[in-house]
Amino acid sequence: MSVSTQELKTKIIELFELDDVTPDEIGDDQPLFGPALGLDSIDALELVVLLERDYGIVIKDIEAGRPAFQSVRTLAAFIEAKRPA
Amino acid sequence: MRFPVITGVGIVTAAGCGVDEVWDSIARGASGLKPLSLFQSPRYGQVLAGEIKEDLDALGAPRRGSRSDRLGWLAARDAIRSARIDFKNGGDRAGVVLGSSVGGSFDCERFLEKLIKSGKMRARPARFHECVSVVDLIANDFGLYGPSMALAVACSSGALAIGTAAEMIQSGEADVMLAGGADSLSRMTWGGFHSLLLVDGEGCKPFDAGRCGMTLGEGAAMLVIEAEETARARGAQILARLSGWGASCDAYHVTAPHPEGAGAVAAMQSALRRAQLEASEIQYVNAHGTGTRDNDLAESKALKNVFGAIVPAFSSTKRFFGHSLAASGAIEAVVCIEALRRQQLPPNPGFASVDPAIGIEPVKSLQSAELTHVMSNSFGFGGNNAVLIFSNAETTARTRAPERGPICVTSVGVVGPGVPNVREIEAPLPAGKVEVFDCGELPRERRRSRLAQMALTSARRSHTPIAGERLSVSIGTGMGFLGAAGNFIENYISKDEREPMPSQFSTSVHNAAASQVAMDLQARGLNSAPTAGEISFECALWQAITQLATGEADRALAGAADELNKYLLSIGQRWGMWTEKTRPGEGAVVVNLAREGEIRVTALRLGRYRRPFDVAREAAWIASSVDLKSVDLVLSGAGGAPQLDAYYESVAAALSLEHRAYKQTCGEFHSASAFGFAAAVDLVKNGARGVLLYTLALRGAKAICCVQR
Repeated sequence: MSVSTQELKTKIIELFELDDVTPDEIGDDQPLFGPALGLDSIDALELVVLLERDYGIVIKDIEAGRPAFQSVRTLAAFIEAKRPA
Repeated sequence: MRFPVITGVGIVTAAGCGVDEVWDSIARGASGLKPLSLFQSPRYGQVLAGEIKEDLDALGAPRRGSRSDRLGWLAARDAIRSARIDFKNGGDRAGVVLGSSVGGSFDCERFLEKLIKSGKMRARPARFHECVSVVDLIANDFGLYGPSMALAVACSSGALAIGTAAEMIQSGEADVMLAGGADSLSRMTWGGFHSLLLVDGEGCKPFDAGRCGMTLGEGAAMLVIEAEETARARGAQILARLSGWGASCDAYHVTAPHPEGAGAVAAMQSALRRAQLEASEIQYVNAHGTGTRDNDLAESKALKNVFGAIVPAFSSTKRFFGHSLAASGAIEAVVCIEALRRQQLPPNPGFASVDPAIGIEPVKSLQSAELTHVMSNSFGFGGNNAVLIFSNAETTARTRAPERGPICVTSVGVVGPGVPNVREIEAPLPAGKVEVFDCGELPRERRRSRLAQMALTSARRSHTPIAGERLSVSIGTGMGFLGAAGNFIENYISKDEREPMPSQFSTSVHNAAASQVAMDLQARGLNSAPTAGEISFECALWQAITQLATGEADRALAGAADELNKYLLSIGQRWGMWTEKTRPGEGAVVVNLAREGEIRVTALRLGRYRRPFDVAREAAWIASSVDLKSVDLVLSGAGGAPQLDAYYESVAAALSLEHRAYKQTCGEFHSASAFGFAAAVDLVKNGARGVLLYTLALRGAKAICCVQR
């Protein structure tokens, strides 16, 4: 089963307490970290916890997650590739 | 001119208890890291930690207090013994300032675990939850009645406590100070640092190319710091001189250091200025060197910036002890003093190969060296940095003296006082309702806890940043971020170590409020979070005034903040802390201080009262510091803990002063005296000549200060 970017956007909004953002406002290729959404390294760590909780993917080094955390699209692809069968 | 010197040391670590044992481990290159056994951690069970395996009872620790308290007590006992000093007769001139960040967390976690897993409520460990608990235990047991406080500024706490104690000696506040730090391992910091992916399970490798994280440790270290004149007068052996200290804030990020180490540079330069030394005179630096990618890289840049092409010998000794958080600065201070005494450079275990990005190599094995001046770095969450410089006992002191002058209030920012409300206590704590004074809805900012939001809002109300102005921030708190810490640990225990909450952990340190204010206002001077029960605000005021007096800041913010949360309400209600006359409250006050203005702050003094409470003695203490003829009334913390009310009444009567209270409007909470201060400023603005603010803490601390026109 593939992960929809829509599902990830909803989770990201909830996880990051982005109260004034709707899923439609986040582009699939929009950078997650940086000025647009105002997310930072602590949010990246929250994302690590979410990946383990919801998809069973354990990340031990934040550098390993960095390429996947670029955008919702890269994140969905990462989950597809790493998700336990 | 009073110069601080070191006359005693005590140390308890995973690499040995006592200076000789510790140095023996250092000389042998023997790390104290072992797999954790203090508590169960199925998920990270094989990870190494700097755990003290000795039975604390067997070492002679009292059977009271939290694990942190008991570690601190052991180090204090050894430091006092080694200084051959007895406080029984001169305790009024002797104080305690300790770094404490974990506090009684380890013990409270056991209580929460019982509650969550078996529904049993045994709240006794919560008595020792506060970071100041170790200070009160030591001060009361060893008879130190001078100024006392804990500084909870994460990993720079121990070093900042030593610098603050030195300031108390220099300013004449005390002749002797016990200063250092104590922190135990805890599930909170264990789960927390793992959630930040900052732990190297095999043990830290500071400055190594392959470094990938820190190792947690626990321990305590204490210094006896004395004024040189009184130390010489009693024939004490002087171990070393504390010739400089400096503090700064990155004002950059809640956990990550500034990538170029800008704050670290500022703190090192401040310490050099205070010591009146050139960078080239430093022969060894005990680095913060946690072993994380970011810290070691930023610190190496800072070292190269301060020292130029020739960086002195440096090493991180973290792999011997683990990173003992608030204790680490004090432990490393003892290492520096011993390095001076033995004329040896301690090595940096864990280092194998140079990281090209760092480009400099630490001391690899124990070496003899001629050492006169050495530096110790400590950097903490919130970008809080503290640096100490120790010099040989034989050197001539050059330490710059502070210039005392008038200190004035230019504005006051307030959140609160709250309005009557009822708060419901949520599970797993026993359900219940508590009548409170509640500050209500606050502006909501993402990832900002209630306490940080209150502190930030009051800081913004009191201050508009001015470009180029050097600003220091000291915000006291009694209970700190108990809400965030409780949430983190409740979630961590109930989910068996799954789903830790990195954002809750990173903002659970007491200094999260002060450091978020610093980030917002770009305040790069001292950044501190004193905690001392009911006198937490006055301790912040003391630090702010000292920053102005020593010329380290052009403007200083002193404040205090506490929030209501379910843990506090539940335990407080269980213990009957609130009567019909008193309600728990919350709020924040930030006072903006400068050297010029119309309303002056005078006669600030910190100390401890004796038991049984001696009214005549307390009245005499106040009368010796305050010009009572210029004071119209005393504003006290009455209306809080009922047992203190009679003390306030009697002392005011003994001084023949009108007595008023303020807690009936803001409620009872640890830092409520900040509201008293705000009320005093209002009274003076409206015509009073002078108001004496008088605060007693349940556990023995006391403070006075005057607000005058």
